This record gives sequence, structure tokens and C-alpha cells, in this order.
Amino acid sequence: MASTSLPSPTSIARRKPSRPLLVALPFLLPYLLLFGTFLVGPLLYGFYLSLHDWHLLDPEKRFVGMANYRGVLQDDLFRIALMNTAYFVVLAVPLGNLTSLLIALGLNARVRGETFFKLAFYLPTVLSVAVVAVLWRWLYSTEFGLINHYLAAGHGLLRAVGLAHGAFEPVPWLANESTAMPSLVMMSVWWGAGGGMLIYLAGLRAIPESYYEAALVDGAGPWKRFWAITWPLLRPTTLFNVVIGLIGAFQMFGQVLIMTNGGPHWRTMTVVYYMYQTGFSLFKMGYGSAVAYTLFLVILVVALLQFRLLAYREEIS
Amino acid sequence: VSSRAGTWLVTLLLLLGAVLFLAPLGWMASTAFKPEKEIFSTEARWIPHHPTLENFAGLTAKSAEAPMGRWLLNSAIVSTSVVSLTLLISSMAAYALSRLRFKGRDALFYVILAAMLVPGQVTLIPVFLMIQKLGWFDSYQALIVPGLAGPFGVFMLRQFMQTIPKELEEAAVVDGCGPWRIWAQVILPLTRPALATLAVLTFLGSWNDFMWPLIATNSNEMRTVPVGISIFNGRYTTEYGLMMASAIVASVPVVAAFLALQRFIIRGIVLTGLKG
Repeated sequence: MASTSLPSPTSIARRKPSRPLLVALPFLLPYLLLFGTFLVGPLLYGFYLSLHDWHLLDPEKRFVGMANYRGVLQDDLFRIALMNTAYFVVLAVPLGNLTSLLIALGLNARVRGETFFKLAFYLPTVLSVAVVAVLWRWLYSTEFGLINHYLAAGHGLLRAVGLAHGAFEPVPWLANESTAMPSLVMMSVWWGAGGGMLIYLAGLRAIPESYYEAALVDGAGPWKRFWAITWPLLRPTTLFNVVIGLIGAFQMFGQVLIMTNGGPHWRTMTVVYYMYQTGFSLFKMGYGSAVAYTLFLVILVVALLQFRLLAYREEIS
Repeated sequence: VSSRAGTWLVTLLLLLGAVLFLAPLGWMASTAFKPEKEIFSTEARWIPHHPTLENFAGLTAKSAEAPMGRWLLNSAIVSTSVVSLTLLISSMAAYALSRLRFKGRDALFYVILAAMLVPGQVTLIPVFLMIQKLGWFDSYQALIVPGLAGPFGVFMLRQFMQTIPKELEEAAVVDGCGPWRIWAQVILPLTRPALATLAVLTFLGSWNDFMWPLIATNSNEMRTVPVGISIFNGRYTTEYGLMMASAIVASVPVVAAFLALQRFIIRGIVLTGLKG
């Protein structure tokens, strides 16, 4: 019995792998095969494609160098798509983060029913973009949508006290050039705020209570405590939420496909929607890849800028 | 006293926010159970006057063009496959990257970490072409296999496994266990909380995925629920009762999974500081 539970030194030496890589490889192989085939390989192949002029039905790919990228930069539709995407990102990311932070701050005040609130605010996040888009198309409906119902009711109240005049004009949320994109922003904030809330809450709970106690002794009010303790210590959390939010917002697609088809008048056409059109409606695979790579580059630059910006502030504070 | 008033004020504001957040979902349910006349009404009535199942019946009647049952089955097959394979494959890789020593281990980890920054859309066209070459277009393989390459699971499990004390493993080595038994009998049981979180997040992500299943399939029989209802919605744009009924059917599985397993999501995000 003793000899089996305590192996001899030679058997340990024999079991000790002489080639550690050979031991690790079987564990790594399944993932590395998938990683190489469906992520790294396509990443390289996509770049290769972007250097070619190729329609899906063409028998051959014609090498054109950087011509697709020059085309993208001179393409008016791409420029419109990029501007629209930037507009969406600039509205949705800060608004989404602010919403998440406000909810998390409220929950951090140790209110009753915390679990209920977490579930309520996170619930939209677990829904598919298809469900969310179908639902909000109904809420935004001009004639019978819930939002216009309440706007009409509000208008009626204002008219009763003499603050509004005339009949209520329902807002064609998704059909109006100036309200279409903000409408998509509003529903996207509703859809995504729950995830940021949970991350902010984790960040808030990680701040030691003693910091606040010390500030209280110094007589700092809630406003002062927020700006002197909470906000600076949440900076890594904010950076994380902003970068994740940016990557998601730059890729906005489903809402557009289901709700607006890029309209009215191209006002909601995003870069990914444009890529989808060139790649999967027009089957211009080379050009579509160039659009995808240009977007990748934009996302990378903006994400790195965020890192620099927020990391730099950390140094000076 | 003033702090108690403050707590009340915060609770009140949170309640207001929660009502605003839940209102769209309430309206979805309300519409789904209304007869057509009440849907197209000029007043916003939350509780239907004459609640009805006619919208759900309409959905069943249109099952030739909107085979909800088939779509639900497809989504269930795809998400359970993606979840179980992701747990298996990621936990193996994460074990090697956190508990075994070999040359180039950290470099490999950083490559996988960097891949997390690659937006899914960049590889969409090449992966689509590859699927076609493999003859996988419009099949379960197409819906399942590319989704297994995502680095999030490996990253999350590796971070978690690194916190497991070395002593627990050494005892097993002394007992004569090889790496496979250590992985299966020592490390995996200790990783259970992280595995549960990963399972829930992967399930939600896979069930809700939209763009890839839209591109990778084209027959009505191979659509997943989100893609199916979005196409159905494009055909019956103004039949809101029907649309809300289909949205509810599509959401019940994820909402049920979420409510049953929510503690894993919330704990997991605290655990890793990350979301899926």
C-alpha cells in the first residue's frame, strides 16, 4: 500500500515531462485550430481580399493594391455612413454610460429591493436586437405608437393651461431625417444600460468605505465626495465601459436593418450596414473587405485614444 | 433623518427609472394580448379590454412562412451546442495557459487577448466565404463552429484558474495524477462558478446573435429565432399584434434563463470585471 501512495523518485522523474510543450499541446489544440481557422486566418484573408477587385461570381480575383481603400476614402456613401456612425457613437456611448452610472450610484446607496432593480434594469439587455427593434418600431409608430400617445396627452395638458396651442402633430420618429438617428440612440441606451450598470456597481463596491469615512470627518458633502473619491477611483471602470461601448456602437447594424433600412435619405446608414450592402447584396467581396478594414482601423484608433486620454489623466491626478 | 429622506428619494427615483425601463416590455405584452381594434386605438390602454389569444393563433396559422417551432428548435440546438463546446474547449485551453509551463505560453496568451479587440464584423466576409468553400452554408455547422473561436471564454477561465492555489494541484501530482486527471478532477470542479457564468453569458450571446446567422443561412428551415422574426416582421410591418406575439415567443427562453440564473451573471461580472 505504502509503495503505491508514495511513488518512487524514478517514477516521478519519468512522469515529469521532458517536453512540456507536448503535454500542453493536446489541451491547446482544439481551441488553437478554431482560433486559427475562424479568427486569425479570416483576419489575414480579409486583408488579402481587400487588395483585390472581386465580385463573388468572378472566377478570378484581380489584384488592385490599395485601390479599394482609395475608393473607400472617395466614396460619398461611405463618408455618409462613417459620419452617421460617428454621430451614433458620440450620442449613444456617453448617454449610455451616464445612465449606467446614475443607476449604479442609486443602487449603491443600499436601497431596499436591490435585486429587483438590478433585474429590471438588466432585463432589456438579455433580449435579441431583433426583438428590441421590432418592439421599438411599434413604440415609435407615428399614428398609434405609445410615445406619441403620451406626447399627445402631454400636449393636451399643456393646452389646457394655455402653454400650447393648436392640434398635436405626431412625431414620425423613424421617418423624419432629424429624429431617426436619435430614436435609434434612445432605444440602444435602453437596451444596453444594464450591462454598464453591473460593471459600475462592481467598481463602486470595490472602493473602500474608509475613504468616505475620512472625507466625512473632513466635512465633505456628497457632491465633493463624488468628485474627489468616487469619480477618480472609477476611472478604470469608466475606461472599460467606454471602450466596450465604443466597439459595440461602431458596429451598430441590426437596428438599422430591421427598423429603417438606412433611411430616411441615408440618415441612419451605418458603416456595418454599408458593408453588409456591398458584401451581401452587391457581392463586391474585395470592396466590402476594404470597408470592414477601414472600420477596424477607425475603431482601433479611437479605442487607443481613449486609453491614452484616460491613462494620461490618471498620471496627473 | 436627512439621510433617511435621501434614501427614500433615491428609492423613488430608482422606481421611476425601473418603471420607464419595464414599460416597453409591458407594452409588448399588452399589445400581444389585444384584439386588433384595441391595438389601433387612439388611447393608450395598458390592460386589454377584451384579452385575446388571437395574435398567437395567427402566428400558428402562419407557421408555413413563420415556423416558430422550428426556429426555436434551431436556436436551442445551436446555443446548447455552442455553450457545451465552448466550456469544454475553452477550459482545456485555459488550463494549459494558466497551470502548465511551456515556452511561449505568455506570448500565446497575449495574442489571444489582443484578438478580443477584433470586431466580429471584420472577419464576416472571409468567414462567410470559408463556410461556402466547406459546403457548410445554411447548416448547423455554419451556425455553431465559427462561434467557438471567440477568445472571451479562454480569457475569462484563464484569469479565474490562475487564482487557484498551487497546493491543491501538488497533492494530486503526488497521488500520481497526470495533467488530464488534474484538469478534470481538480481544476474544473474549482472553476465551477466561472464556468456557470461563462455558460449563461455564452447562451445569451449565442441565442441573440443576429448578423452571423442572417448571413450564414438562407432557407426558412435553418433560420434562428431572431433572424426568423426579423424577416417575418419585414413582411407584416403593420400587424403589430402578430409582431408582439412573435417577439414574446422569441424572448421567453432567454428571459426564463436569465431570471433562473441571474445570480451567475451578476456574480460573474463582479468576479471578472467583464461582461460578454
